[in-house]
Amino acid sequence: MNAFPRGSVGIALLLCASHVTATDLVLEVRDPKGAAVSDAVMYAQPLSGSSPSVRPKTRAIVDQVNKEFVPRVSIVQAGTEVFFPNSDNIRHSIYSFSSAKTFTTKLYSGREAAPVLFDKTGIVILGCNIHDTMVAWVFVVDTPWFARSGADGAGTIKGLPPGDYTITAAAPSLAGTAKSIAMTLRVEGTAPQRQSISLEAGS
Amino acid sequence: MRIQRLQTRIIVFFVALIALVQVAAFWFVNAANSRNAQAKVAEELNVGQRVFARLLDQNAEKLKLSARVLAADFAFREAIATHDTGTIASVLANHGARIGAAAMVFVDLDGKVVSDTLIPQSAAHPFVYPELLGKGAASASMEVLDGRAFQLVAVPVLAPLPIGWVVIGFAVDDALASDLRKLTELEVTFALDAPQGWRVLASTLGDRDQQSLLAAMPPRSNDVSRLVMNISDADHQALVFPLDRNDDARIVAVLHRSLGDALAAFVRLRNTLIVLAALSLVLSIVGSVAVARNITRPLEALASAAARIEQGDYSAPVNLKRADEIGVLASSLNHMRGSIADRENRILKLAYEDPLTDLANRSRFSNELELAITEATQGKLKLTILMMDLDRFKYVNDTLGHGVGDHVLREVSARLQKTVTHAECIARLGGDEFAILIKQGVARHGDDASFAATAREIIAALEAPILFEGQPLDVGTSIGIAHFPEHGRDAQTLVRNADIAMYAAKRNKTGFATYEQHYDTSQQEHLSLLGELRRAVERNELRLYYQPKVSLHSANVSAVEALIRWEHPTRGLVPPAMFIPFAEHTGYIKLLTRWVLREAVRQCGEWLREGLTLQISVNISARDLMNRELPEHVAELLAEYDVTPGLLCLEITESGFMEDPGHAQKVLDRLAELGVKLSIDDYGTGYSSLSYIMKLPVQELKIDQSFISRMATDEEISTIVRSTIDLGHNLGLQVVAEGVEDRAVWDMLRTLGCDDAQGYFMSRPLEAHALSAWIRANAGTFACPNNPVNRLAAAAVPLAPQSSSKSSL
Repeated sequence: MNAFPRGSVGIALLLCASHVTATDLVLEVRDPKGAAVSDAVMYAQPLSGSSPSVRPKTRAIVDQVNKEFVPRVSIVQAGTEVFFPNSDNIRHSIYSFSSAKTFTTKLYSGREAAPVLFDKTGIVILGCNIHDTMVAWVFVVDTPWFARSGADGAGTIKGLPPGDYTITAAAPSLAGTAKSIAMTLRVEGTAPQRQSISLEAGS
Repeated sequence: MRIQRLQTRIIVFFVALIALVQVAAFWFVNAANSRNAQAKVAEELNVGQRVFARLLDQNAEKLKLSARVLAADFAFREAIATHDTGTIASVLANHGARIGAAAMVFVDLDGKVVSDTLIPQSAAHPFVYPELLGKGAASASMEVLDGRAFQLVAVPVLAPLPIGWVVIGFAVDDALASDLRKLTELEVTFALDAPQGWRVLASTLGDRDQQSLLAAMPPRSNDVSRLVMNISDADHQALVFPLDRNDDARIVAVLHRSLGDALAAFVRLRNTLIVLAALSLVLSIVGSVAVARNITRPLEALASAAARIEQGDYSAPVNLKRADEIGVLASSLNHMRGSIADRENRILKLAYEDPLTDLANRSRFSNELELAITEATQGKLKLTILMMDLDRFKYVNDTLGHGVGDHVLREVSARLQKTVTHAECIARLGGDEFAILIKQGVARHGDDASFAATAREIIAALEAPILFEGQPLDVGTSIGIAHFPEHGRDAQTLVRNADIAMYAAKRNKTGFATYEQHYDTSQQEHLSLLGELRRAVERNELRLYYQPKVSLHSANVSAVEALIRWEHPTRGLVPPAMFIPFAEHTGYIKLLTRWVLREAVRQCGEWLREGLTLQISVNISARDLMNRELPEHVAELLAEYDVTPGLLCLEITESGFMEDPGHAQKVLDRLAELGVKLSIDDYGTGYSSLSYIMKLPVQELKIDQSFISRMATDEEISTIVRSTIDLGHNLGLQVVAEGVEDRAVWDMLRTLGCDDAQGYFMSRPLEAHALSAWIRANAGTFACPNNPVNRLAAAAVPLAPQSSSKSSL
């Protein structure tokens, strides 16, 4: 578990280096009852112009620990290669019937599985063919500006250049009780900006 | 109707009791069995329902499992995930076949049918049972698809999140019903409540039974219905309950079982019970009949034995050898039989035997006589009875005591038995009265002579003196003989006539007499006269006649004897002999004596007032001497008519005081004290001893006329008369001769020194006025032969025959 937050941090550092005149957007996601939502994904898409394309060789990792995907919720920019290491001492066989990315792996252990390139935007739902309870969500987006909420429901999108954005938040863990939400937001200055997002009830 | 016979009562009681018990037992057992059987069927149905429900659940679970396995199949999911309709349809058909599903439907997350193997045209339409599509879990339900019943299982297809539902339908068909029947042992029918009516979806029944069942279906209900259905003419206990999960109760299960089958064991048990009840009833009847007979047979035997005893048959004992109470009763009855027989013998002996002489008594004699008469009447035989009594028995009894009397009776009966060996019956009728019954043919010649001979033998047998303690006792007898049938056709008449004959014998001193008709007529006359005599005193039909006593020394009349006469209004003058003896028998003589005494004393007084002093003699009977009041009565009469006692003379016969000498002596002494003269009448006819007479206070002796009338012709009699006169004089008595009928006797008596004479030679009895006239005319005329007495004597001659009938009175 230790290695993967470091990967995320690495992405953030790369962004900071290329945009000097940028700011961080701290988003706090709350459910309809006002409670902080962890493992929510947030991403920003500029209203005008296009987002920078993904850097080559960008990678993400979805590990399998104790017959669970770790993390259960991931967000990557399209074109990212996702690795599926197996930290368990049993074999897994990862599959997805999602239209954004349909694939299966053979039974494997350790780092035998080849990385899978997630090149289309959409939600890819991962399962294990031999462990029906394992499920993970990978949001494939066309922007480099995204974040995932922590236990306090806050996540920070770093290095946002000023401008108007469409902010989208979704929480798979609340599927069936709260729906994803999109909002526009202007980012100005360099000081970190905070914004709270309340998910609306619905499925 | 009351049942009288014990046997019937016992049988009816026991049979009724056992029948009651049997019926009650049968009823209870039957009711219990019936309840049990019903309960058993109900319980079987309940168990069946539970098993059925459980089986359906298990079936559903099994189907769910299969469905889940199917839905989890990766290839299946992969094919579903292609979203290619053709691929989906083929995978549904393929995998459905693997698990034996009859219908496979894939429904997307929106509830729309993606593919349906059973009804392909339902694709793109909403699935008809959206409630089956739960969020996560599999669910199962009984539903109708395409008019057929299915058990539907819906399971989500996970990839790994649900991407849709696969609905798998398993047919509910006859095969399933049969499987369920094997497990529940109940008939199983699935029925649909369609708008057009009930319809069978699947059943274990044949077509015909299905129709019966549908006809018997109850109204739709969401609850379990219990009912009895008539299916093919057999009652079935049924349970109807809905299978729909959605409670619309369109599909129901009908579980039922034939009551007949369920109750078969019960019916067998009931039949067995009936057979047992009938058997025990028969046994109880047989048993109670046996018991009743065991009780009543001996009772009947006892009853018939008791009846025999009642009829006097003591010969047959009750033959019951039993140790029980009846045996005891039988033995008691036997003892009783013996005791009664003994007692009856004793009673008969007492009733029919004279305890003193051991001869038959009066009752026995009467019975024997009746019996003999009956026999003789039928066999045209003859009978003879002899009645006898002892002379002077009372004298023996009174003077020597009853012990001697008893001895005499015993000796007489012994002699009778020894003498009359051919008698049918010898009886002592009472007192000194004996009777002998002789049947004809047994008597030696069968004629009267033989009976006379018998009578003579008896008299001869009693002539020998009976010795008592060395002292000879002399008893004589008089015997009356009567023959059947000529002297009476019934016992009463015969006995009476024999009695009459006996009295005749006694009267005539002939020893014995055979009955003669004229005894009876005179007897009858006496009896009717006696009745009239009762009224004679009131009607003043009695008269006193007076016969003068003439002094042989002076020819003067100083005394008369009063003689009673009865002037009967139709019969004329009735002689005293016709009524006096019977008046004595009946006791009427007392009244006659009183009347005579009063009349005599009154007449005496009357004559006194006329200047005629006559002593009047009145005859007194033996019965009068028994009367203690006689002296008082005489004294009163004398006082009443102012007559000196010396003018009254009472004449008593020897037998008169011999009957009870002690008593008579007292009465006579009392009379003598009064100054009344006493006279011994009819002297010489009795057996009294002079020594005895000497003790009596008499002044006069009257010699019986039987001596006087013969003294003129019989030298011996003449001697007796003379010695009697001397004897009387020697004793200081005045001697009177009765029955003087002619001068010869008169003269002889004068010569012999006799004091007075009485007789027809002087005068017959005369009425009072005639007598006083006669006295005045004839005073002192009898002294010489040539005086008017000759005329009187001549006049007396035609009357001479009357002298024989002249009473001693």
